[in-house]
Amino acid sequence: MKRFSEKSPGVFGGDRSALVVVVLFVLFVLSIPKFNFLAVVVFAAFPVFVMGAANVPAGMIAKRLLQVSPFVLFMAAGNIFIDRTPLLRFFGVTITGGMVSGGVIAAKTLVTVAGVLSVMYCIPFYRICRALESFRVPEVLVTQLMLLYRYSSVLGEEAVSMQKARDMRSFGTRGKGIFRTAALIGSLLLRTMNRAERVYRSMSARGFQSRMSGRSATGFGYGEWVHIGVWSLCFLALRLIF
Amino acid sequence: MHMADALVSPFVGAAFWVVSGSLIGYSAKKISEENDPVKTPLMGVLGAFVFAAQMINFSIPGTGSSGHIGGGLLLAVLLGPYRAFITLASVLIVQCLFFADGGLLALGCNMLNLAFFPAFIAYPFVYRIIAGESLSPVRLGAGCIAAAAAGLFLGSFSVIVETVLSGISELPFMTFASFMLPIHLVIGVVEGLVTWAVLSFIAKTEPGILRVQKGSGMPRFTLAAFTLAALIAGGIGGWIASTHPDGLEWSIARAGGREVPGSAVNAEISVWGIAGVVSVLFVAGTTGFVLGRKQSAAVDEEV
Repeated sequence: MKRFSEKSPGVFGGDRSALVVVVLFVLFVLSIPKFNFLAVVVFAAFPVFVMGAANVPAGMIAKRLLQVSPFVLFMAAGNIFIDRTPLLRFFGVTITGGMVSGGVIAAKTLVTVAGVLSVMYCIPFYRICRALESFRVPEVLVTQLMLLYRYSSVLGEEAVSMQKARDMRSFGTRGKGIFRTAALIGSLLLRTMNRAERVYRSMSARGFQSRMSGRSATGFGYGEWVHIGVWSLCFLALRLIF
Repeated sequence: MHMADALVSPFVGAAFWVVSGSLIGYSAKKISEENDPVKTPLMGVLGAFVFAAQMINFSIPGTGSSGHIGGGLLLAVLLGPYRAFITLASVLIVQCLFFADGGLLALGCNMLNLAFFPAFIAYPFVYRIIAGESLSPVRLGAGCIAAAAAGLFLGSFSVIVETVLSGISELPFMTFASFMLPIHLVIGVVEGLVTWAVLSFIAKTEPGILRVQKGSGMPRFTLAAFTLAALIAGGIGGWIASTHPDGLEWSIARAGGREVPGSAVNAEISVWGIAGVVSVLFVAGTTGFVLGRKQSAAVDEEV
């Protein structure tokens, strides 16, 4: 969850409009019919543009794309096996309906995930939370997101070191069974609870009263509307042309 | 079991977003009414704990594979349904935004499948009835296994319903169900065993942690209304979506003066089409790169 930039690219006009633009992007991609492969691929222009404009390392996004859920691949493969209706011939090769619709499922997943990740990598998380708050997302959830983000790396390191220590003391699968591991998870849980108590005390000492921030919701500014409008027109143009 | 955006139609995704959003609002209201600030950091670190605990793998006997805890039921036992739902929702949001697990539009579906069922159905209606407040190993074990299996079974059934209603996958309902349900029932039993083992460890070392949480009784009729709303919204919407193009498809097709997309109408892949796509990608990439260089140069000058 590392950030690459504290300054979001000006191409979105602001954090809130960036969130709206990414939602519109996903909606436009998902509105493409299930046999229109090229129309999905052309929308890859959005993540490609954002990655260039915000200097997001393409390798990082590609690494995440490789971890795309096997469930999606299973569903795409299902289409290939079930729909064997010949749809078209491309350079002498018969392409079935299942191949196209399966390819569209996989392409839609890759394009939307790349779009969301590239935007998220160029906005710091606390600003995403502030933007959510200004959209009237319940304050409980926003505070929860901020705390989760803050402590996931700390506890993650603790879990990795516990797992490493366990692996060094175990042999093959011995010592890695469910019940042995449960004791490990249990002790991580106890440490977590103790940490929560310490966190609460330190937050109380700083005047914490159940909420991390208290920004009131404000309307969109002129600049934000302009950016949302321009991006919407770009997406619409891509949908109409391809 | 995370649903991806590509498997959900815009209408079904939006319908489940409304349902999950309402559940978040309802849970947030309940939590605010409790007014217990001690629990706020606890929710935060327990959310982080779920991430951390998922990094610790265990070997699954007889399969040669390994797995990790899901944590839904564990959170419900430790925090009660409302706080567990918000905590699980936050985990799903972070997984979607930064780990490519699930999708933005599918987030509503994922919250229902992976947070609603363990927190609002499995915990109060299965775990609490079987295990109650008892810390006896037998009741705790039976409660954990039954509740985790029920939560995962219902979640996977919901995945099937959402996918079939979206009409994107070609898999027929029965074929999909015969793949999904048995495997998730087994995963549920394993999840129950791990949750039981963790709770037994806690019961031995710090039993005070397992005292029943405030507001963790059976959720009122309101929750049944939410479930019903999800089924109606997804059901009616999905039926419309699977037989007709959704609103966005329809309006774009109309604006472009084309046939409303059905099946093979848009399947033509021409050389000109490919050339057009490559040109758009090239222009977007080059423009982005130039803008990025300019921005970097401006930042360097400021420094």
